[in-house]
Amino acid sequence: MLEVKDAAIGVGGQTFQRNLSFVAKDGQLTCITGAEGSGKTTLLRALMGFLPLSEGFVSIDGEMLTPDSAPFFRRMIAYLPQNAQWLSHLLYPAEMPEYEADEYAAWNALLPSCPVLPEVSPLSGDEVYRLLEQVVTQAGKTMVVADEPAASLTSGQTGQLLSLLRRQADEGRAVLIVSRRPEIIGRCDQLISLDSGNV
Amino acid sequence: MMFSVIDVILGLLLLAVPAAAIYLLDRPRLRPAAIAVSRMMAQMALMCLVLWLVFRFDRPWLSLLWLVAVSVGSSYLAVKRSRQDVRQLLLPVSAGMFLGNLVVAFWLLAALCSWREVLAARSFVPLTALLSGHSVAMLIRSLSVFSQARWQGNLQYEFNVSNGYTHWRAMLPFVRQAFQHLLSPSLANISVLGLFAMPLLLVGLLLGGWEPVRAVILFVLLVVACLAASVIALLLALWLACRK
Repeated sequence: MLEVKDAAIGVGGQTFQRNLSFVAKDGQLTCITGAEGSGKTTLLRALMGFLPLSEGFVSIDGEMLTPDSAPFFRRMIAYLPQNAQWLSHLLYPAEMPEYEADEYAAWNALLPSCPVLPEVSPLSGDEVYRLLEQVVTQAGKTMVVADEPAASLTSGQTGQLLSLLRRQADEGRAVLIVSRRPEIIGRCDQLISLDSGNV
Repeated sequence: MMFSVIDVILGLLLLAVPAAAIYLLDRPRLRPAAIAVSRMMAQMALMCLVLWLVFRFDRPWLSLLWLVAVSVGSSYLAVKRSRQDVRQLLLPVSAGMFLGNLVVAFWLLAALCSWREVLAARSFVPLTALLSGHSVAMLIRSLSVFSQARWQGNLQYEFNVSNGYTHWRAMLPFVRQAFQHLLSPSLANISVLGLFAMPLLLVGLLLGGWEPVRAVILFVLLVVACLAASVIALLLALWLACRK
């Protein structure tokens, strides 16, 4: 269970939210929504301990989240990022170019030029889903945090992902999703709107 | 091999061959060629002076000072050639290069000679110069790859840290990529070493009067030492550069 109490979140001197309080319970899908720039991703970063709260606190299973304890809590969280299609190296190892022997051999030392790594090619929707499934089903995770996880998925794949997340909730995990997509919002148990600050 | 001034002048007369060819075939290049040869002579004279001083006094602290100077100079070259920020990387790369070369030189010289001779200029200076030269070539590739991989993989790093990885575990894929780009060219070279042409280093040993079997054995040991020194230099440099 994750609890946020009277939190103020902001970055670079700009405060996006004040007096934000909610509880994401185990076994439930909680969706955080809001307009662009309302601070959804900033809130998520604060919940994962990457950004300090200027007011209030966050606790996980009754334990306070602090900069020192955050790395420990992150080990219990399965995090699904917004741009998962660019994580192709997690599914496929980086390409290794074949090196030819230098004409004069290394110990006759001509200085080499710098190699240029190939651009990372994006994953397809199916591959993104496969990656997210791997992340979510890791052992030892008690909470799932997803930041716009369906950004690169078709509506069919989004439905599959929601079913996967629902299964995680049914197994007793707290599932927190940041999204603006109606099909996700409609299937969550609890909605937190950062536009109105309402739960 | 001993030679007099006359012998050297006779040897330098060989320059007349390319000079005549340039004069006949590519006359505008005569001046740049003369400048290039003069610069080579000046650089060699300076290096000769430094080496003469180091060999003449032959003190352990002077050998170590030599290694510091070579490590900093080589690191500057490696960082600059790999198009990285000199202010950010010069210190960690120099430290990695210094320690990598020192450890490997100590090990090899202690194995081949004795502990007392480890810092003797006669063996320590050429060996560390060789190790630094090889490490520079390898670090240019691997530092450049590390920086590109880290830049391309920023999302991957954040993903890993967000999923509970420690900083070092999240950095591991980029360190692995840099290491692969250090190892692969070295292995490619080792596998064909001496297949088509005699390596310059081996030529140098033979010219220095080494008997062929001993020269080849020493050459193999030096190749292995070069590989070990560059691996230590890279891993230490990245460890020092990427501390939080």
